[in-house]
Amino acid sequence: MNTVAEPEAPRRRLGPASASYAPFLPAVVLLGGFFLVPLGIIVIYSFWEVIDYNVVHHWTLGNYRYFFSVTAYVKTMWATLWVSVVATAISLGLAFPFAYWLSRYVPRRLRAPLLILVVVPFWTSYLLRVYSWLTILGEKGLLNRFLQWAGITHHPIGLFLYDRSAVILVLVYLYFPFAALTLYSSIERFDWDRLRAAMDLGATPLKAIRRILVPQVRPGIVTAIIFVFIPILGEYLTPQIVGGTGGVMIGNLVVNFFQAAEYTRGAAVSLLIALFILLLLIVFRRSLSAPEAYGG
Amino acid sequence: MAGDVEVLSTRARVGRLGLAAYGAFIYVFLFAPIVLLVLFSFNANRYGTFPVTAWTLKWYRDAIGNYQIHDALSTTLKVAAEVTTISVVVGTAAAFPLVRSRLPFRNGIRVAFILPIMIPGLLIGVSLLVLFTGSLHWQLSPQTAVIGQSVYTTPFVILLVAARLQALLPAILAGALLAFTLSLDEFIITYFLIGDRITLPIYIYTQIKFGITPEVNALASMLLGASLLVLALAFALPQVMRATRRAFRPRAGGVA
Repeated sequence: MNTVAEPEAPRRRLGPASASYAPFLPAVVLLGGFFLVPLGIIVIYSFWEVIDYNVVHHWTLGNYRYFFSVTAYVKTMWATLWVSVVATAISLGLAFPFAYWLSRYVPRRLRAPLLILVVVPFWTSYLLRVYSWLTILGEKGLLNRFLQWAGITHHPIGLFLYDRSAVILVLVYLYFPFAALTLYSSIERFDWDRLRAAMDLGATPLKAIRRILVPQVRPGIVTAIIFVFIPILGEYLTPQIVGGTGGVMIGNLVVNFFQAAEYTRGAAVSLLIALFILLLLIVFRRSLSAPEAYGG
Repeated sequence: MAGDVEVLSTRARVGRLGLAAYGAFIYVFLFAPIVLLVLFSFNANRYGTFPVTAWTLKWYRDAIGNYQIHDALSTTLKVAAEVTTISVVVGTAAAFPLVRSRLPFRNGIRVAFILPIMIPGLLIGVSLLVLFTGSLHWQLSPQTAVIGQSVYTTPFVILLVAARLQALLPAILAGALLAFTLSLDEFIITYFLIGDRITLPIYIYTQIKFGITPEVNALASMLLGASLLVLALAFALPQVMRATRRAFRPRAGGVA
């Protein structure tokens, strides 16, 4: 009996292992074949070139060199980083007191509905939320119409729209819910008595905040930064709709290159975005994986 | 001493009021643009904005009678149905081994599966465009857009289902709802991959590139209403399901 049973053993061990990988298969095909492979192709494309609308397999750094040789492109790159930093900072800056208020001053039974209310705009269409600002800021928008109707100006003021500050305003509007939600979940868990205790023991308020509050809510802050900063880096619609020529971001450059069939140059610019994301994740990798940050 | 306490409590009260006012300001900031949009959709003013000249349903009639919108809507729904099916099947299957078994490389696999959420949709769109047209020589169609959207929605379903394997059916329903909603709203991947067809977001985009139109205000308001209705259903659903289960418990013997 034993001699029969023995060869079964290795097969049985192999069986469950491959069986437990099997459910992955569709996901591996979908995300491997249609996400990782195309990203790899983009990397290769960024080192090839387009001649007469055909992608030619010449290895070159020309796409990158071209991008950095055009002042307007480099300026757009820096402006994109600037817009992302400012919009992220304002979103978090607005979200922090809001989360503080919600977690400390709002009666417990009202917290959940108020939190859901913050997320409701997120469930409505992204495009429509950008569009809704046109009705306020646009040339025929509420502000201009109101000023004309009230007789303050006779011509529409372009001031409210088609520049960088309009882009930042709308981005803050779009990403505030993310920031509020992630900050709320970490602030809610914070024990405010500890802050008071630190101050009772002689710490200045600023020092207490820096040494007690910030380390404990840091995971929430980092998550919020990542979830706001990264999508903003790749924004296309908002600068396209409310930004005009003054609010162009790097995502618009990517689309322009691809629409002009400049595939290899577009690939290089897309990889610049990916590079910035990678850098951000590397900078924050410690805060993302440090369990002691949760107060453990 | 007593004066000190008095001062402190006054300050605390002012701080409390200030924070409450700030909270109110946040909600006004979040909802004012949406409310105005809906308000202007009933405004007879053909600029679609201030001032309100008269109330009308004309723009709703226009939007409902617009065959381009019909076409875009049917494409959008077809794409969303396919994307939802693919992401629920693929995502649920992948969520099981991710949670249950102690596989080698499990964390690596997890990161690889979640990466599409971290990468801007723009990059998914252009890289698939290059794959489909440059390498595979496929004709762009709603089907290629379905693949692209699924790449983006499936990781959300994996995350959702993996987090709540104990309550599988609600988790799958929530995943389906999320995938459907994300698909309805998706713009940039679809824009690159759908070829010469249009979905509702693409239709709206082409209309608003040059400013506000009252017909889009009406369309937008109807879409907002629809998504709020779906959201309300999503909140009502767990209660409905719980009630149903309770009703069937004596006969089903707790199987459900």
